[in-house]
Amino acid sequence: MYSPTWYSIKPFIEITLLWIFFYYILVFFQGTRAFQILKGFIYLLLIFLVSHFLDFDALNWILRQFFAISIVVLVILFQQEIRQGFARLGQGKFLNWFMLNEDVYAILDDIEDAVFSLSEKKIGCIMAIEKQTSLKTFIDNGVAIDGMVTSELIQTIFKHESLIHDGGIILRAGRIAAAACLFPLSENQQLSKIIGTRHRAALGLTEQTDAVVVIVSEETGDVSLAHEGRFIPVTGKERFKIILKELLVSQEDGEKQ
Amino acid sequence: MKSFLLNNLLLKLLALGLAIITWVLYVNRGMIAG
Repeated sequence: MYSPTWYSIKPFIEITLLWIFFYYILVFFQGTRAFQILKGFIYLLLIFLVSHFLDFDALNWILRQFFAISIVVLVILFQQEIRQGFARLGQGKFLNWFMLNEDVYAILDDIEDAVFSLSEKKIGCIMAIEKQTSLKTFIDNGVAIDGMVTSELIQTIFKHESLIHDGGIILRAGRIAAAACLFPLSENQQLSKIIGTRHRAALGLTEQTDAVVVIVSEETGDVSLAHEGRFIPVTGKERFKIILKELLVSQEDGEKQ
Repeated sequence: MKSFLLNNLLLKLLALGLAIITWVLYVNRGMIAG
């Protein structure tokens, strides 16, 4: 059916496709703790290959048993990352119908005002804005507010005297859903050790969900944004609004007003 | 172009190694399952 030429080049094409496939898997896991586990798994695979060609039957047998159950082992070890991956996969364009852009625009000014006022006074703040992935678990472990997003309320919440200044606030559908919420800390091994808990928490939340997190550093007053496990530094109010708008409103063709 | 190639060079090499190992293991799967 296929020419002999095809059969001679087929292995190269197949290896190239496998190469691309594994590369993107490794990029996806890079910097996560799962990467260390993956490396361990790869070493075992190498040992298996070597032992096969050297006819180490006993070693082969043990490794074969291990690989037989390895799929289950991998799913258990990587459940967090698999969950994130599926969550991202599920965020297709059509799901952006549910992003209420009117809500977003209405609150941007108040968020900007609050954030930069807190920044001037060097009052630490961490604010998560829910997108498509529900932040219900985090809202439930905080103090329910269900209030309008106003600059005054946000600033009041983060004042040191406030009973609920510790933790982050969560904005959902144009309202402040809860305050004093605890966010998961990032387990990224490549993070600098000097990054404080507040920033680590912002990163951790964005690694597990598609939320956008605004952070004001208590030490320097610097404002930054976190999204999808990465920090986006902010230089000034205009840039802040532009970047925040881009992150919150649907990617390519949202219903921009 | 150069930075793209050099970027993640180690990851690319690792991925290539994995691809080759997987392919070899697959081709020899009959003998391995043996």
